[in-house]
Amino acid sequence: MDTAIDVVLKLVAITVAFVVVLLVVAYTVLAERRILGFIQGRLGPNRVGYGGMLQPFADLLKFILKEDIVPDKSTRFIYFLAPVIATMAALMTMIVYPFGPRTGIPFTSITIPLVIAHFDVGLLYVLGITSVGVYGIALAGWSSNNKYSLMGGLRSSAQMISYELALGLSLIGVIMLAGTLDLAQIVELQSNWRGFHWFIFLQPLGFLIYLIAAIAETNRVPFDLPEAETELVAGFHTEYSAMKFALFFLAEYINMFTVSMLATTLFLGGWNVPFAESIFGRGTFLFGLVSAIGFLLKVIFFLFIYIWLRGTLPRFRFDQLMSFGWKFLLPLALLNIFITATLVYFSYNF
Amino acid sequence: MEPQLSWYLALSAILFTIGVTGVIIKRNVIAMFMCIELMLNAVNLTFVAFASFFQDVTGQLFVFIVMTVAAAEAAVGLGIIIAIFRNRESLDVDEASILKL
Amino acid sequence: MLALLFILFAGLAIGCALAVVAQRNPLYSAISLIGVFISLACLYIMLAAPFIAAVQVIVYAGAIMVLVVFVIMLLNVEQQERGRTRLKFLVPTAVVLAAVLIAEVAFILVTVQEFRVNPTASPSDIGITNSIGSGLFTRYLLPFEITSILLLMAIVGAMTLARRGGLLSPDARLIPGAQTLPLHLVDPSAAPDDLRPVEMESSEEAARLLGVDPRLTRKE
Repeated sequence: MDTAIDVVLKLVAITVAFVVVLLVVAYTVLAERRILGFIQGRLGPNRVGYGGMLQPFADLLKFILKEDIVPDKSTRFIYFLAPVIATMAALMTMIVYPFGPRTGIPFTSITIPLVIAHFDVGLLYVLGITSVGVYGIALAGWSSNNKYSLMGGLRSSAQMISYELALGLSLIGVIMLAGTLDLAQIVELQSNWRGFHWFIFLQPLGFLIYLIAAIAETNRVPFDLPEAETELVAGFHTEYSAMKFALFFLAEYINMFTVSMLATTLFLGGWNVPFAESIFGRGTFLFGLVSAIGFLLKVIFFLFIYIWLRGTLPRFRFDQLMSFGWKFLLPLALLNIFITATLVYFSYNF
Repeated sequence: MEPQLSWYLALSAILFTIGVTGVIIKRNVIAMFMCIELMLNAVNLTFVAFASFFQDVTGQLFVFIVMTVAAAEAAVGLGIIIAIFRNRESLDVDEASILKL
Repeated sequence: MLALLFILFAGLAIGCALAVVAQRNPLYSAISLIGVFISLACLYIMLAAPFIAAVQVIVYAGAIMVLVVFVIMLLNVEQQERGRTRLKFLVPTAVVLAAVLIAEVAFILVTVQEFRVNPTASPSDIGITNSIGSGLFTRYLLPFEITSILLLMAIVGAMTLARRGGLLSPDARLIPGAQTLPLHLVDPSAAPDDLRPVEMESSEEAARLLGVDPRLTRKE
C-alpha cells in the first residue's frame, strides 16, 4: 500500500513538474519576444489575448497544423529520432532539482520532499544527460542531407562538447565546498548566514565561468553562430518543419530553463529565501510555498539575463568561440579549482 | 526473485561473445572498434557485478580505470583510423590488412 | 520486481548489441551502441554503483561515442558493401563458435555452485562517491596517477596523428601567421626529400618560397 501511494505521488509530481516546465518555457518564449522588442525600441506581440498572453497557444496551434515536410534523401529513422533525443535529454534533467524543502500538505499528515528523484549523484546525472543531448543536434545536422545543416550541426555539437568541460570544471569548486554531489544536500548547506552562505558569494569566479559556459551550452547569443539566421540559414534545424521544429525549439528553451535551475540550485541557494525560516518555521506549508516561489523567481531572474544578453551582445565568430572556450575558460576553471582547493584545505586545517 | 550473480555473469558473457563475433565479421574498421568497446563494457559489467555481490569497492575502482583506458584508446584509435582513411580512401579492414598502399 | 527490471535492461542491452553487429550502416551501429551503454548504466544503478553509472554515461555515451559519431560523419562512411573475395565460411563459423562459447559459460555457471563468500546483493553503501574517492586516493593511488599519464599520452598522440603535414597546393589560401616548411624548400642545397620542419618568420616569405601569390597572405 505504501509503495502504491509512493508511485501515485511520484506520478503526480512528474505531471505537475512537466506542466510547470512547459508553461514556463512557453511564456519564456513570449517574454523573450516582448523584452527583445522593448530593448529594440518596438513592441513585441501583443495582439493575441491581453498583452499577448495567449500567443504561446496560438504558436502551438500553428505548429500542430503546419505541413510536415520531410526531405527526400534524408536518413528517415535518424531524421525522426534527432528531435526526440534533444527533447528527451532536455526534459530528463528536470527530476533531480529540489523545488522546495520537505513540506507538509495542509489538512493531512503527509510530508513530501519537493524533489522528484533524490539521487546521491544528482549533479553527475545532470552532466551526463547534458552530454547525451549533443546527439540530437549532431544527428539532426547529419540526417538532413543538407550541407548547411551538416556544418551547423557539427559546429554546434563541437561548441557544446567544448564548453561542457568548462561547465563541469566550474562546478567542481561547488562540489568541494559542499562535499557532496547531492543537489538537495547542496541546497541545505546554503541556508546559513541569512543568505550570505549562497555559493555565489563563496565562488564568484566559478559562477561567472558557469554562466558563460551555460550560455554556450544552450547555443544562445553571444554563442549562437551555428543557428543564427544570417549565418547557416538555420543551422542544424534548417530542414525541420512543424512539430519536429517545435520540438527542437522547445528543447532549446527547456535547456535554458534547466541550466538556470542548476545555476539557482548551486549558486543562488536553491529554495532558500533569506528570512523565511524565522517567519514561517520549517516544515510548514507556507514555508514550502514561499520557498518554491523564491526558487521560481530566481530561475526567472536567470532567464531574464539570457534574454537581456540576447538583445544586447553581438555574436562570436566560430574560431573565436572555440579558442575562448579552450584557451581562456578552461584554464580559468582549473585556476578556480586550484584556488578553491587551497582555501578549503587551509580552512579545514587552521 | 532477485537477480542472482550468475544472471549478471551470463549477460556479460553474452555481450562479450556478441562483441567477439562483431570483431570477426565486420569489415568496416570503425564498426570493429565499436565491437571492441562492447567487449570492454561486458567486462565492466562483470567487475561491477562482483563488486556488488561481494561488497568490495575494488571492482568499481577497476571499472573506473578501464573506462579511462577505453577513452584514451578511443582517441588514439580514431586518430589512426582517420590517418588510414586519408591514405587509402577506404575503411575496409581486409584491404588494409595486407599492409600495401 | 528487480528481476523484471533486470530482464528489461538485459534484453535491451542484448538487443542493441545484436543491432550493433547486424547493422550495415555504421551510424546505426553507433546509435545502437549508445543504447547498450545506457542500458548497462541502468544495470549498474541496480548493482549499487550510481557513480559508475553516471561516469559511464558521461564518458562512454557522452564523449567516446560522440567522437565515433563525429569520425563517421567526417569520413562520410557509407554502407558496407558485400565482400568480393571473402572467405565465405567465416560468418557461419563465427556464429557457431559464439554459440559454443555461450554454451561453455552456461555450463560453468550452472554447475559451479560453491562460493567461499556467500554473494548477496543487499543495498549497500559501497558505490557512493565517498567510498570510490577514498579508495582511489589511498589504496589505488598508483593506478590513478598512471591513468592520468596515460591520458596525457593519448592527448599528445591524438594531436600528433590529426595534424595535417605536407605541402600546400599552389592555389591554397594561406592563413596569416608564420608557416612551417620542409627544409628542402628553404635551403636549396638540401636533398630534395629532406622533410625536416623549419619555421618561417612570416607568411609572405613562406608564400614566396612555395610559389604562391604573397597577396593571399594579407589579412582580410
